[in-house]
Amino acid sequence: MLKVTLRGLMAHKVRLIATAVSVLLGVAFMSGTQVLTSSVSASFDKVFADVYASIDVVVRSTNEVDTPFGPERTRISESVLPTVIGVPGVEAAEGQVVGQIKVLDKDNQPLVTAQGPPNFGLNWLDSPSLNGWTLVNGAPPVAANDIVLDVKTADQGNYAVGDTVNVSATKGVQSFKVVGVAKFGKLETWGGAQAALFATPTIQTLVGEPGTYDWISVAGQNNVSQTQLSEAISKAIPSGTEAITGAEFTEESQSAFQKIIGIFSTFLLVFALIALFVGSFIIYNTFSIIVAQRTKELALLRALGASRGQVLRSIVLEAFFVGLTASIVGVGCGVLLAIGLNKLMQSIGFSGPDTPIVIPPVAVLVSLLVGTIITLVSALFPARRAATVPPIAAMRDVAVDRTGASRLRVAFGLILLALGAFMLWFGLNGNSDSGLQIIGGGAFFVFIALTVIGPVIATPFASALGWPLQKASRITGRLARENAMRNPRRTSTTASALMIGIGLVGFIAVTAQSVKASTVDAINQSVTGQYVVTTESFGSTALPQSMATDLDNVAGVRVAAGISATFANVGNSGKVILAVDPDAISQVIEFNDVEGSFVSLGVGQIAASEKLAKDKNLKVGDPVQLVFLQGGATTLTLTSIYKTEFPIQGPGWIISTDQFNTLVPPSQQTYSAIYIKLDDTSSAGVDAALPGLKAVTDAVPGAKLQNLNEYKKSQTDQVNQFLQIVYVLLALALIIAIVGVVNTLLLSVYERTRELGLLRAVGMSRRQVRSTIRLESVIISLMGTLIGLVIGIIFGWALVTALVDEGITSFAIPWSQLVIIVIIAILAGVGAALYPARRAARLDVLRAISSD
Amino acid sequence: MTTTTSSPAGTSTAAHTESVTKVYGAGDTLVTALDNVSVSFERSKFTAIMGPSGSGKSTLMHCVAGLDTINTGRIFIGDVDLSGLNDKQLTRMRRDTIGFVFQAFNLVPTLTALENITLPMDLAGRTPDQEWLDTIVATVGLGDRLSHRPSELSGGQQQRVAVARALASQPAIIFADEPTGNLDSRSGSEILEFMRTAVDKFAQTIVMVTHDPLAASYADRVVFLVDGKVVDDLQSPTTDSVIDRMKSFGA
Repeated sequence: MLKVTLRGLMAHKVRLIATAVSVLLGVAFMSGTQVLTSSVSASFDKVFADVYASIDVVVRSTNEVDTPFGPERTRISESVLPTVIGVPGVEAAEGQVVGQIKVLDKDNQPLVTAQGPPNFGLNWLDSPSLNGWTLVNGAPPVAANDIVLDVKTADQGNYAVGDTVNVSATKGVQSFKVVGVAKFGKLETWGGAQAALFATPTIQTLVGEPGTYDWISVAGQNNVSQTQLSEAISKAIPSGTEAITGAEFTEESQSAFQKIIGIFSTFLLVFALIALFVGSFIIYNTFSIIVAQRTKELALLRALGASRGQVLRSIVLEAFFVGLTASIVGVGCGVLLAIGLNKLMQSIGFSGPDTPIVIPPVAVLVSLLVGTIITLVSALFPARRAATVPPIAAMRDVAVDRTGASRLRVAFGLILLALGAFMLWFGLNGNSDSGLQIIGGGAFFVFIALTVIGPVIATPFASALGWPLQKASRITGRLARENAMRNPRRTSTTASALMIGIGLVGFIAVTAQSVKASTVDAINQSVTGQYVVTTESFGSTALPQSMATDLDNVAGVRVAAGISATFANVGNSGKVILAVDPDAISQVIEFNDVEGSFVSLGVGQIAASEKLAKDKNLKVGDPVQLVFLQGGATTLTLTSIYKTEFPIQGPGWIISTDQFNTLVPPSQQTYSAIYIKLDDTSSAGVDAALPGLKAVTDAVPGAKLQNLNEYKKSQTDQVNQFLQIVYVLLALALIIAIVGVVNTLLLSVYERTRELGLLRAVGMSRRQVRSTIRLESVIISLMGTLIGLVIGIIFGWALVTALVDEGITSFAIPWSQLVIIVIIAILAGVGAALYPARRAARLDVLRAISSD
Repeated sequence: MTTTTSSPAGTSTAAHTESVTKVYGAGDTLVTALDNVSVSFERSKFTAIMGPSGSGKSTLMHCVAGLDTINTGRIFIGDVDLSGLNDKQLTRMRRDTIGFVFQAFNLVPTLTALENITLPMDLAGRTPDQEWLDTIVATVGLGDRLSHRPSELSGGQQQRVAVARALASQPAIIFADEPTGNLDSRSGSEILEFMRTAVDKFAQTIVMVTHDPLAASYADRVVFLVDGKVVDDLQSPTTDSVIDRMKSFGA
């Protein structure tokens, strides 16, 4: 039977191309993204290992707060340093200060944009055993306005020793004198990130806090191990500080980064799996059609004495060969894809230097397994059908497969649909914390239900969609409609593949539109100001607090109110804490008192949103214990429970700017946004104020001044960007679904050779043949698209309804986008039919009518 | 031999060939399917083409019907030279002036009997002449079966639909390729009766390829082909006279 399988494989290789392509694409995407993320991860592992290579022990604070940027630690006091130096076995110890800065070019614009690699400011370490930097030119920074640039920064900005360079930080733009250019080990940068080096006190004021370090780096004497040294130091240092080995420190940084890469990698993996899932429909369809077309051959085998098991095995083996081959080629393509993307990322400076391609064996193995198993499983049902072909079928005419509406199928489909609908209802109305997961599960069941029930609804659906075509183009429309209806299982499986992709697109589009509408609504309802200043930077490189004062002094400005953010552990988890001047901000953004007074929020006090207070069961007068990243453990009194429509970040904790300034060092006393209200809010007044405001914001690199409409647009643009990324990732699933349409049409054309020959013989023109195939393709495409969109909209509505507490208050359907999707679906249908229609039209009439 | 070697296309012939040669393959495997065949088919007559397997009778029909190409010679339908036509013009010719009845797989399975009958006219975008349609349907006796799909019809009924389709567009000539080959003798005789009626009552021209002497006896004339050559021509054939002729070719 192996011989029969192999012969079958060779004979049907053209028909198996689409199956192979769909498996190949999915596996290539899956393995490619895994290889890429592993490579990037490995490259950054090396960066961290390089950067921290000279450190044997790190001494740092024990206070750690989780932030959206990863865990951060409180700074450590200079006073610990002499203690560390005094420990036997220590050869050298120095405090390290690191923070983000912006080195400016000669036009005062940041050399490294917000999308580029980070731009760090560091202190120059004097001890050769700790300092990884070597000067290419000039001397180390000593004076307060000395700066040393890395080779790349110097090249980019065209700076040389002796030049003046501007750096932007909290205190605005400051001028420094380039005293040296340095490289890190053999690298032109600090392991991919660009860096500038300063004397310790200078960088402390610029990004940190005078008298403190981020950590203390220790180099041990040769005869002491890292562990011994760290144990010795641990005993000597005061409480609130800890010593860990350099190896542990490196590993921590590596794993923090790996976690971020891991999230990204999982995100990509989800799309790879969606693509493979869609591909499974094509595999199922191909094998179903091949089995149907081979009924006579299989029956002959059975009549000649082949057992059911042998027939089953021969089909499964065929699937195995196809799946494995396509998966192997897929992994190969994936690796090539990863190499290409890696080169691209290096060229735009996103990745680390000389990133080697890492091919993790597990990823390769899993990709191969997933590709092969999906092919096998998808072919299993058709194979079982093949095994049930009775020997007598060899003697009969091949019956057209019109099965579809079996009662079992209807019942099973309806049960699944009911289950999905119930989960949707329960997720929305049940007071469960996992409402979203339940809705997601409901969506899954609805998809499966529609796939199961598809053959039943395919006929009426194709009939309805084909009706206008029949009216418009008579006989070709009539034949296309009938062809789409004649094989419900095939039509519905083909459409289902598209339905899944389009369903997800519709779901994302509706959700995104609702988020955008809600954001705009919220801004409309809560912001009474006319201008907003924003920045993409955070902390020491954000907007200096003095900027709000400067804006306040511009003629025509009633008030300029800033918002800052810091982090604190509340309970056991890190939270964003916002800081505002309550009186000023209340004039620009509407805050309503639910309990207590928001406007009088002062030092020692904290405000909570209505939802937060309800969730935590808080009332005015309650103490709230926080451990701030900088500023340590503090107990604040809850004096205000407020309500606002404004889409604020974080859970809803707000403190006053005065309180904020007692918690963070001057280098961090910045705003992330400033809202401006004018005296004259007429459009003439708004225009008149612009030059004065612009003069202030132009002085701060990275500050972006927007009027309210521009601000709303920039907020919704962020959603659009995310939307585009998701669309690009879903495109693969859609392409595979279109390949499925091409595949089904091709196999159908092959199957209908005689019928097409007859039609041609009695006078159908090639154009009419092409038009018939094209219309059939459009019917299938539209079927998948319309069902997909309806499901997408329903689940988009469910998600939006479930997220009403998270500030998504409006449900909006992006009609224009949906219309575009439908038009694209029609065009895709026409496109998918191009090759099959050509094949059909080119059929040799004589061979078609005389073929057996 | 009544081959008309001289021609400007006479008005009495529905189709004729002039020294048509058709070869398959090349070199050692060269097969001459039609060897210098000149034959004409008269209007309003029922002509049968007979011959043993491999005699080239089907090839001749396919070539005259514009389904296959020839190597040398010329073929005329009416006074139109087929060799000058491209695919589009050939298609139109088949649609508008030729009718077909094949041995099997005559009908489009997704269309009803009536839709199959009007298919060539639908393809042309013409509205069928209702009165004529009724006449045809009555002649082949399909009145109550018109809304059925082919799978719901017996083999004989399917061939009747095929004959009705061929007649419906009133083509200049109908080609029938072993139309009774797959039928039992009763259904077969019915189909042959209908074709005979069409020639007698409606003056339809029919050319039929067959290897069945009984079927050939329904024709006005039988053309015999052996090894790609026209070897005989028999007027007013009977079953016996056909069998006798065939014996003489050793077929």
